[in-house]
Amino acid sequence: MTVKRICLASDVPTNEMREFTTDGGDKLLVANSGGEYFAVQAICPHQDVPLCDGFYDGCVLTCHQHLWQWDIKTGEPVGGIAEAPLERFAVFVEGGEVFVGTRGALNVGELFSGLSESTLSKLQGLAKAEEHPAGGALYQAGDPADDFFVLDSGRIEFQIGRDERTSPAGFMLRKGEVFGWAALLDAHPTRIASARVLEPSRVLRINGKQALAVLEADPASGYLAMRRLAGLIARFLAAPGAR
Amino acid sequence: MRIQVRARNRAYDFEAPEGEKLLFAGLREGVDLPYECATGTCGTCKARLVEGELKDLWPEAPGKKHLKAGEGEFLMCQCAAAGNVTAEVSKYVYAMDPGVCMPQAVGGKIAAVRHLPGDVAAVDVDLDSPIDFDAGQYMALETPGVAGMRGYSMVNFARGTKRLEFVIKKKPGGGFSEWLFAGERAGSALALFGPLGKATFYPNLAKNLLCIAGGSGIAGMMAIVDRACQESYFNQYKGHVFFGVRTAKDAFYLDELAGFQARFAQNLAVTIALSDEDVPASLASRYPGLRFDRGFVHEVAKKTMAGIYGNIRAYLAGPPPAVDASIRFLLLEAKLSAENIRYDKFS
Repeated sequence: MTVKRICLASDVPTNEMREFTTDGGDKLLVANSGGEYFAVQAICPHQDVPLCDGFYDGCVLTCHQHLWQWDIKTGEPVGGIAEAPLERFAVFVEGGEVFVGTRGALNVGELFSGLSESTLSKLQGLAKAEEHPAGGALYQAGDPADDFFVLDSGRIEFQIGRDERTSPAGFMLRKGEVFGWAALLDAHPTRIASARVLEPSRVLRINGKQALAVLEADPASGYLAMRRLAGLIARFLAAPGAR
Repeated sequence: MRIQVRARNRAYDFEAPEGEKLLFAGLREGVDLPYECATGTCGTCKARLVEGELKDLWPEAPGKKHLKAGEGEFLMCQCAAAGNVTAEVSKYVYAMDPGVCMPQAVGGKIAAVRHLPGDVAAVDVDLDSPIDFDAGQYMALETPGVAGMRGYSMVNFARGTKRLEFVIKKKPGGGFSEWLFAGERAGSALALFGPLGKATFYPNLAKNLLCIAGGSGIAGMMAIVDRACQESYFNQYKGHVFFGVRTAKDAFYLDELAGFQARFAQNLAVTIALSDEDVPASLASRYPGLRFDRGFVHEVAKKTMAGIYGNIRAYLAGPPPAVDASIRFLLLEAKLSAENIRYDKFS
């Protein structure tokens, strides 16, 4: 984790928020919730809208454009409209100054953010970081589904069907998005889609069986991860009428 | 022409005839493509051209300021296919729910124009074929010779109807409204597409209604209150309607609103907010069933609603500053959840 100084604690009054740009040029939003500081991505994951223009009551952050809402402490969607969590950053306050550390893709991810620290670090231990050039394939339909993937950067596209008869089945481009999750399901031995690398991409590769063993050993975290997995699958099921 | 739209979750294939806007072709086929204004302003329907050629039907559309130059981005509401087209939409896109009123292209003509106070006209349109729409929805309207379409909410509510009623405010530089006000328009042909919009009311909502409208934004609220009255919704649930205009001279639909209020006097409250003058005593005595107050409509609503936000669904329409101010107090002070604040953003 790289840690950067962002601002003075007094720059962000109680129950208010401010946008800052790091010396690396990244924008992030620092929010003060009753004296506790949180840092999240500065731009709404829906459309390119600055969240600092939104509403913040000290607990819930609302984008003013379409009312996507999040719990500032967890980055999780609330209010029933937001379809994606916010990327959160680790925050340290020392000597009246706010420092922010970037989180790895696993902590950002839609499956694992908010899991216990020990379980997260075990999963991190299972994760192999891989870099793939554009044009390659991570897996093909019909391949054994042993591993799942967490996107760190880049863009992965999916195709269903085989040989001549394939059709596009979506794409992933957000840090923390999880794909190849068949590896986390019982009795699901093969890939139903193929995954192609569209832009140079960094991914974390994690063995499904080993990850399940880690999650089983920490049922609270495991339950949260499985609940999120169910939601993830439902998001793709909720697109009926494939032609 | 064969169109493929690649969304984040899957791809959709549909046909589009020559000259039809890609957004409309997809919506007609039941693909719930992203849009809000559907008329070239908001930028919500932007997509990226992957393959094929497009015809831009309104190169000056103001919504093009939302597009990234040089990356092949375009507005689906303004571009038609000139051959087979593959486009990418960086959002999750789903099929429309079964049972929604399917948008379609329909022709019509202006049956009557009735001028109301404050540069506003009530416009009745007769369609060539009947359509279904939901209370709170709008149609995109266009007349030959005026670039671009404009969205207007239906004032009436009826199923399978060929008669649509609109309220149109004269806006300087607004192509359609300037055309409407420039001459006698009864009998003029229109092209329409719809119904559109998601700020809809269904009687199975089972919540108290709060409608906050400024100026011609009252149109969709009239349809919502009309439908609620038709279904005797206000026997069970409360309705709070706030209608903001500048002065007493700018107010319209007061007879209609008083009529709704009289039918459900126990549970339906209608407040007219005048921003620029004190309430004339003559107005208040003419409409004993309506309430009148001085102030911006969102301020009057906020003051009146304090402490009675239980089980509320809010609908908002009107000038963006009034809508934004209403959203702010409904979220931060009334603590309504986002899903209970409904509006369509046109800018």
